[in-house]
Amino acid sequence: MTLRQKLLLMFSITVVGIVAAVAWTVSVRVRRVFEEMDREQTAALVNQLQREFDQRGSDTAAALDRMASSDALRRIAFELANGGDAARYLTVAATLAQEYQLDDLELVGNDGNIISSAQWPARFGYPEPVIFSAGKPAFLKQEQLPDGSEEIGTFAVRSVSGSSPPLYIVGGRALDAATLRTFPVPAGTQVYLYRNLTAEFDPGNFGAPVQAVSSATAYRQLVDQARASGQNAEGVVYPTLRRQDSVNATAIPLKGANGGVLAVLVVSNSRRGMVEVQNHIRAIAYGVAGIGILFAVVMSLWIAARVSRPIEQLARAASQVAAGDWHARVEIHTRDEVGVLAETFNHMTEQLAEQRERLVQSERVAAWRELARRLAHELKNPLFPLQITVENMTRARALPPQEFDEVFAESAATLRAEIENLKAIIARFSDFSKMPKPQVETIDARDAVRRVTALYEPALREKRINLRVPMDKEPLLISADPELLHRALSNLVLNAMDAMPEGGTLTVSAAQQGDAARISVADSGAGLTPEECERLFTPYYTTKQHGTGLGLAIVQSVVADHHGTIAVERGENGGARFVIDLPLLAAGVTA
Amino acid sequence: MALAASARTRPHYGGTLRIEIQGDAWAPDSLARRLVLNTLTDLSDSGTAQPALAIAWSAQNNDQRWDFQLRPQVRFHDGTPLTAEDVVVSLTSACAVPMGSAAASGAPAVACPWNAVYVAGPSEVVITTPAPQPDLPELLAQTRFSVSKQDDTGQLEGTGPFRVAGFSGGALTLAANDDCWQGRPFLDSVEIFTHRAIRDQWLDLSVGRADVVQIPPEMLGQAQQQHLDILVSQPLDLLALTLDAQGSFADPAMRQAAALAVDRASLYNVIFQKQGEITASLLPEPLSGYSFLFSTDRDLMRARTLRGGAPARPITMSADPGGGTLQLAAERLALNLDEAGFAVQMAPPGTPSTLDLRIVHLDEASPLAALDEMLTRLGQTVTVNGTDPHALWLAERTALQNYTVVPLLWLPRAWAVGERVRDLRLSPHGEPQLADASLEAAR
Repeated sequence: MTLRQKLLLMFSITVVGIVAAVAWTVSVRVRRVFEEMDREQTAALVNQLQREFDQRGSDTAAALDRMASSDALRRIAFELANGGDAARYLTVAATLAQEYQLDDLELVGNDGNIISSAQWPARFGYPEPVIFSAGKPAFLKQEQLPDGSEEIGTFAVRSVSGSSPPLYIVGGRALDAATLRTFPVPAGTQVYLYRNLTAEFDPGNFGAPVQAVSSATAYRQLVDQARASGQNAEGVVYPTLRRQDSVNATAIPLKGANGGVLAVLVVSNSRRGMVEVQNHIRAIAYGVAGIGILFAVVMSLWIAARVSRPIEQLARAASQVAAGDWHARVEIHTRDEVGVLAETFNHMTEQLAEQRERLVQSERVAAWRELARRLAHELKNPLFPLQITVENMTRARALPPQEFDEVFAESAATLRAEIENLKAIIARFSDFSKMPKPQVETIDARDAVRRVTALYEPALREKRINLRVPMDKEPLLISADPELLHRALSNLVLNAMDAMPEGGTLTVSAAQQGDAARISVADSGAGLTPEECERLFTPYYTTKQHGTGLGLAIVQSVVADHHGTIAVERGENGGARFVIDLPLLAAGVTA
Repeated sequence: MALAASARTRPHYGGTLRIEIQGDAWAPDSLARRLVLNTLTDLSDSGTAQPALAIAWSAQNNDQRWDFQLRPQVRFHDGTPLTAEDVVVSLTSACAVPMGSAAASGAPAVACPWNAVYVAGPSEVVITTPAPQPDLPELLAQTRFSVSKQDDTGQLEGTGPFRVAGFSGGALTLAANDDCWQGRPFLDSVEIFTHRAIRDQWLDLSVGRADVVQIPPEMLGQAQQQHLDILVSQPLDLLALTLDAQGSFADPAMRQAAALAVDRASLYNVIFQKQGEITASLLPEPLSGYSFLFSTDRDLMRARTLRGGAPARPITMSADPGGGTLQLAAERLALNLDEAGFAVQMAPPGTPSTLDLRIVHLDEASPLAALDEMLTRLGQTVTVNGTDPHALWLAERTALQNYTVVPLLWLPRAWAVGERVRDLRLSPHGEPQLADASLEAAR
């Protein structure tokens, strides 16, 4: 990743992070405000509903009190107490219920059996156990109806005034969905009644409104919690998959006289307003974040122009230097740290170029000196016999002709031999300067090794040198000039033979090493010092008394011409080990 | 004073009598049909057949061939004379008309007791029956065997003391038939106001807007308390529970359990305010003399035992349309059955259900004809082998042992009569005989 990309990413993350943090904080704060409002609204509504319930209970009890004191009921009680036929009053409850605006009313005899029932007239003669609550405040009660359904209502029980034995009246007003609709609730608030008729949650036990507007099962968890604990339960309910349809709901258990939960009142406040505000905040945050990212792009481009571009120029210049372009320079436009760095880089490259030039010149001088020394050394050896021979011939002029002829003949032969020697020396120098271009063909590297070892095997045996030739079984096909390669390997073998004048072991191997064919020539001689290893391939450098210092240079030249590498290292037996890596041909490729 | 008294007792001609009813004016057993139409025979107070459109009849071939001589000089309301062909057409078409609640539910026609009706002469009709039918003259007194014909405009024409004059404002107006073979009725016309609630009827009676109104059995006591002038018939309506012998009640033991679970006493004492009589028989005790042999006791323990541990599958129950009392009785029976372990769900009145609470009207007044009528109306296919009480009891017991019909109560029919109505009596069918009634002061 480039510096510019890093800067862009860093700026974008920073902007988005800040925007997200601000949006989240505002959203949370808004949610808390709405939740607090919902809590206050729900608490107020619950209190209001509680007052409504209490009022309905008081109204019911008051209606029953009035009824218990009415002449009509006192007359009925009197007649019943004096042997009157209870059957005559079968329909009285319905009439009284209508008169006193009650949904449910039962006249119950002293024996606890129903005399007349408004809500279920056919239940006459059946027991009504609730008469034991006579005189107590109104309470919630579950009442069965003829059609098999059940309703919940606020009930009270009273005995008719002055009746002896007592005649009871059990009356109530239904608490259902229709009743809830009469309660004053603010906009956005819904009140539902879940009748606790079954052990398992049943959506059908909700009033009609909740079934009409939403999924009743969404309230299951809250209702079950309130039913199980008998305490209020609060939570967020999602009637649909849309967040704006979610509500803050409070489930309030409504308990009967025996403490059992008869119904659960569900008060739900719409979260639509809060969700819409949150969505608005989110939309603004997206907008700000988008603008911020654009700003970050512009900023990164500007900063890149100011910061990363000089650094990129520096990097490119460094790459050029690494590639050998010692004249690479960086333009300086600023005076800041980057400008100083660029100036320092330019100064450094200038110094490096100057030092390299001096190094080249010094090496060139050293090479000439070495060449002169070698030439002097090589030429000095044949010149001394030549001088001696010439002096002998000069002195031989004083000898008798016969002796002079003999000396002359011997001197002439010596002169010819030494001249031949000089020619050979000059030819070797000439060969080094005229290395031929490789004539490559596909060969097996193992064949090149076999050819060299077969050539020198008799000489090795004569010098008591053991030859080991470990090779891969698979062909090692390379693209090479067999003659040049043979010449290079011969030089290495001859060097090894020179390094083991007292005998030893020569190991010549050929094996695959990655994508290359590795040929190694290792001797068990005295080995090389680190300095020798460093200078070994320098032309005219030799460790031998009569060497020209061109053998390994020729080897290195041949290997380089074949796109390979050569290295020298310490062998396993303490001697020197030359390692040549030549690129293998890919399968199916020929030179 | 004696002359004045005599004048008060002498019937006056003229006037319009207003009668209010809960039901339909032209229902199969309705009052209007009896006023407009005649049957071949009529029933005496003792329940025996007496001449009406037929003046004489004779049986042959072991009561399987009946020869009816028609009354001469009888004319329909449109003036056309009554012929034997008219009688044959009416009797034949009667078998295609469903009766009572069966008509409402679209049930098939009730089978007629004959297999052929044909003209044997200008004033002679012969009816042949597949089996001995000694009570055929009494059966022919039922309104479903009324004689009528349709005129060119499609209007039904009868031979009764009144003819249809019009229908407007919820009231059917009947005008006196001046040429009636029975003689002209005292009343000029009768207005029958239909679908009137009982409370409204009583209110109209109290303020003089009605002359004759209905009194349901359960309100007889209340009517007596209010000192209304009341006409009460013998028990003529059977309150019975019919069970569909399929589904939950395919097993006779289940049906018997339901029959044992019903509490007739609560129906009689409370819902019907001790009117009528508790029964487990298809005939009233005064008519058959053996009704007491069928037990009316409730045996809840045995009902539960018979029902056993069978799963309580929902059973539907409905009552005949006819007011809240029937519905209340049905709900009470549902509670009774619930105690025995049945799960009963109430259905709207008139809905075909597994359990139906029905009111079955009895026209006949002789034991054999009455049993035949009840068996026919209740869809029972039991042959009565004889005319003696033992044969009737055996036939009835055979029918009731299926437990597809559970008789509950015999109920009377009652009417409250206004002060200006004179000489009004009830027919053996429980209907006011308006042809003989008059108004004290014709207006």
